Amino acid sequence: MTTGFLPPVGALAPLVEPQVAGLATSGADEVGPIGRSSGVAFAELVSGGLQRVSEQLQANQIDLQRLAAGDVENLHQVMLRMEETRLSFQLMLQVRNRLLESYQEVMRMQV
Amino acid sequence: MDYRNAFAISAAGMNVERLRVEIAALNLANANTVADADGAVFQPLRVVARAGTALPADRGAFNALVSRGLAGPSAIVESVTRPARQVLEPGHPLADAKGFVRYAAVDPTTEMLSLMSATRAYEANVAAMNAARTMAMKALDIGGTS
Repeated sequence: MTTGFLPPVGALAPLVEPQVAGLATSGADEVGPIGRSSGVAFAELVSGGLQRVSEQLQANQIDLQRLAAGDVENLHQVMLRMEETRLSFQLMLQVRNRLLESYQEVMRMQV
Repeated sequence: MDYRNAFAISAAGMNVERLRVEIAALNLANANTVADADGAVFQPLRVVARAGTALPADRGAFNALVSRGLAGPSAIVESVTRPARQVLEPGHPLADAKGFVRYAAVDPTTEMLSLMSATRAYEANVAAMNAARTMAMKALDIGGTS
């Protein structure tokens, strides 16, 4: 039995450089020191994603108001933008679900 | 965002079909207009749609083209020069010396066929967009019921 084709197991490089900067959410605090290094990136991802989705929703509101007022220049464009917003919102929801599941997985570990 | 590409492409197709319907409606509305005293008569319009720029095989370049709106079809409107329809109406105020009145040369059959084909093409674009949206929603189900 030869193991020449398998790369030797060595130290794995850290995925995210540990950062000492302040954390945006308290959820990252509870995860612990290992979570802290990747918690900052996640917090920025989540808040940035929320910002983008809320901007899209506001643009949608403006479109719908103009549609209700009768100022329709492109009906299918309005519908397409609504679908895009809905997809972004669903994506954000699923990201939140996955993050929660991973967090609960970590918390379930025996001490 | 891959689904935005599919949406943008379908939107470009739907724009062309909507333009086709508008032009057919315009032609039908002006079907029975007569020539003016100076001889100017309504010339029916036609939509000429061209495919987008030459599509590259490279995925990144294709995405860049779609985001700039150059991958979908583009349409221009041009008028068709056809001789006017002559109808014999001696009592008409705008009849010429021989009693003929010149009407716009609009063929209702052609316009109705354009309407029907444009409607079907529009529905096909909507079906393509719905398929892209369904795929994106299914992709969000990955790892859902674990």
